[in-house]
Amino acid sequence: MNATSTSLNLREIPVLLRGESEPINESIQRCTPGRILLYFAVIFAGAGLFGAAMGCWRAPLQALYTALKLPLILLLTTLGNALLNGMLAPLFGLNISFRQSLLAILMSFTIAAAILASFSPLLFFLVWNTPPLAQRADLSGLAHSSILLTQVAMIAFAGAAANLRLSQLLLRLSGSASIARGILIGWLAGNLLLGTQLSWIFRPFVGSPGLPVQFLRDDALRGSFFDAVIHAARHLFFQ
Amino acid sequence: MSDNNPFPLPVPPPIPGRASAGLNLPLREALDDRVPVSGFITAIESILRQPRRIIYQLRQEGQSGLIGRLLVIAVVCSLVYGVIVGTFSRSDQLYQFWTAPVKVSLGLLVSALICLPSLYIFSCLSGSQARLVEVFGLLAGLLALTTVLLIGFAPVAWVFSESTKSLPAIGTLHLIFWVIATCFGVRFMHAGFNHLSAQSSAGLKVWVIVFLLVALQMSTALRPIVGTSDTFLPVEKKFFVSHWFECMDK
Repeated sequence: MNATSTSLNLREIPVLLRGESEPINESIQRCTPGRILLYFAVIFAGAGLFGAAMGCWRAPLQALYTALKLPLILLLTTLGNALLNGMLAPLFGLNISFRQSLLAILMSFTIAAAILASFSPLLFFLVWNTPPLAQRADLSGLAHSSILLTQVAMIAFAGAAANLRLSQLLLRLSGSASIARGILIGWLAGNLLLGTQLSWIFRPFVGSPGLPVQFLRDDALRGSFFDAVIHAARHLFFQ
Repeated sequence: MSDNNPFPLPVPPPIPGRASAGLNLPLREALDDRVPVSGFITAIESILRQPRRIIYQLRQEGQSGLIGRLLVIAVVCSLVYGVIVGTFSRSDQLYQFWTAPVKVSLGLLVSALICLPSLYIFSCLSGSQARLVEVFGLLAGLLALTTVLLIGFAPVAWVFSESTKSLPAIGTLHLIFWVIATCFGVRFMHAGFNHLSAQSSAGLKVWVIVFLLVALQMSTALRPIVGTSDTFLPVEKKFFVSHWFECMDK
């Protein structure tokens, strides 16, 4: 591909999914505007489709909101941690530039988004087969759990596959399993911390039948994901 | 053994098509593989006897005609099998003669379309070099082989349809036939991916489970395919397991 090309070459996506070492190494070494644009486009389209499938159970407007919010979380997590991740790589022993580390993480989110896009027809089908939210309280509880679990399984699979490819790339770049593992854990920890809090701020994704459809909750910036987890754990074990 | 044996052991003649059937032989090395698949009968024969030929042809450029033929075979065979499914309820509702075929055919095609994107992604993750059109072709081959085999089961299914009034029994029978036929279809698809440089079959195995679940749920979403109903599509939404339990209780 031309180094200065800005056209979208969709054939790069199967290459990423297959984890082909040579072309991926070249992608990391030679960053083109077209490639970055492609990654952004796939993240927006892929995560957006999956988000729409998540939100459509509640209402069409919720589908639109979640279709916008899910890609935003992935991109904001990538950009928000770009500086930290760029510094962590050399600290763990891999001398790659800030741009290369950003591209590597963007690449892994692109893989995850492509996988999520392929799962979105399945999720749409599942939602279509589920009784509408709050039609019957007993059914909705069961359906809510099954949809939630399916979504978690799909996102977990996409995340695992993306990180597997990222760890393979880091191993090739560093030539050492311990360095690659250290960087991956460092990047994952940072992304987990920021990503969970962004998800908390951008809630709701599926929506609740008792609450109005909103892009952000009125108390979006109040509390944190970890506060909620601790509160739920206390409620479960000590009350 | 002496080389001068005046009575050499008889060598059996080569079995026709044997070389083509060898799974380890790379595609294109057997002459049979390179013979184009033209016409519907040839396509049906090839998918049953020479699946490598179909797989090889799907790898070539401009095979939309072959994919189209496989899809037409799948549609026609599923419609025919659907008529057999509909015979069970024809005494109660005559329109089951057309609703059952339409539902069987539509359900199978829509299930395949829903699962196509994930099949492509799983094939890429397993290292396969298959293009989207090749994956679509293999999926069309799966559907064609499955439905052709269902036609083979059709006379047996018809005999049972005529002789029993038990909805769970006939439903289970159709399910068993479909599962057996799908197993052969999946075997064809696996062979296809093996020839397309797939390094691992784990992803494809997961996909097969997803496809089976989607198809089973589709049978519930389009119910009743076997029994009778006042409406073409059900009013209430259910998961297939709970629907099965309800049918068993009746």
